[in-house]
Amino acid sequence: MSEFEPKIVAFVCNWCTYAGADLAGTSRTKYASNVRIVRFPCTGRIDFMLLMKAFENGADGIIVSGCHPNDCHYTSGNFHARRRWITFRSLLDFIGFDTDRITFSWVSAAEGKKWAELVNEVTDKIKAKGPFTDLGNLDYSQLKQQYDEAITK
Amino acid sequence: MKQLQNKVTELFENGTINLMIGFKNALNNQAVPCFIENASEAGQLIYTPDCKNNLSVYLHKAEVKQAKKIGIFGNIATLRALVQLTSENQFWDIEKTVLTVNDKDEVIVFANMEEVEAYVQANFPEFTEEEKKLLEQLEAMTREERWKFWTDQFSACIKCYACRAVCPMCYCPQCTVECNQPQWIKTSSETTGNLEWHTMRAMHLAGRCINCGECGRVCPAGIPVHLLTVKMNQDLFKEFGTKSGFSTKGDYALNTFKAEDKEGFIK
Repeated sequence: MSEFEPKIVAFVCNWCTYAGADLAGTSRTKYASNVRIVRFPCTGRIDFMLLMKAFENGADGIIVSGCHPNDCHYTSGNFHARRRWITFRSLLDFIGFDTDRITFSWVSAAEGKKWAELVNEVTDKIKAKGPFTDLGNLDYSQLKQQYDEAITK
Repeated sequence: MKQLQNKVTELFENGTINLMIGFKNALNNQAVPCFIENASEAGQLIYTPDCKNNLSVYLHKAEVKQAKKIGIFGNIATLRALVQLTSENQFWDIEKTVLTVNDKDEVIVFANMEEVEAYVQANFPEFTEEEKKLLEQLEAMTREERWKFWTDQFSACIKCYACRAVCPMCYCPQCTVECNQPQWIKTSSETTGNLEWHTMRAMHLAGRCINCGECGRVCPAGIPVHLLTVKMNQDLFKEFGTKSGFSTKGDYALNTFKAEDKEGFIK
């Protein structure tokens, strides 16, 4: 059997990380091909629902990345995003969702090398964790029980 | 009780209000919300510790707004919601008169929202012991146990959206669950959709929830949904020092930022 190749979706901002990934490409840096990049105008535009949708549609891991603090093209988009991620991450942790599958990072347009290392690191981490199956293994026994009780009444 | 009824009668007679939202006794001696439309009905109004419903949710309804001059009886949850909703600029099209009964059984008619704000701040409802205990129990679990707990709970969700209907903070004319091109959240009761609905609800209420617990009380499947937003409130206070429903000029935590916000997970 061939080795598990994780699907990783990267949500990146147009101005920093996308350009950083571009730099990694033009400087012929080799990195894992498991990542699918989705380009956004700004990290402030990355809605938490998009991350949920990526997992729903079969992603095993997610990278969210944008400009370093104080470097945002729109001045404050990444600061807003940071608050949203702090909130979202603590909510996911409270629900018991595996937060290790989402990696947040700041990668600037000059950090092609950091991008390549980040992708490799995340790919290795997700490979070690295995495929994401949490959403497919849910137990409907409680609903079934309630249903059975309701129809026998 | 009599004092409250007399005060409302007076407000109707001098034309301050056209509609009063309060509580009355239902047949089973349970306190239920009621709408009083003229002075002769004011005798129905009651106030007991059982009056728990958050009445501010009715102020979003078009048929209530028609009355223009609305009196509303506020238990502490309702008052806190009114403060939060004022900070979100939701009452530009109605004139409302807010009444409450304090712990000395005196009827207070607030002159403006600043007075309501001062009253709420003086009587600010902190997290209850029961909520704290439940949160501690959940936090003591391992991640896998928590996942099991919540997915078990969510599996009973039938997507009736009662938690949304009862929430004074859920006032968007069109909710994400009604967006169907594409359908963001599946309308049937199924795994990912249920999880998405509850995470989305908690995220949209994070830092805005006024902790009245109505969503948990109203859930027909008995899911403790209020714990999610209570937890978010706790976390946001810890992280950013914000309190929802505390100030009429309060900033919504996720609408603002500080350059020195700290986190320990961004690489």
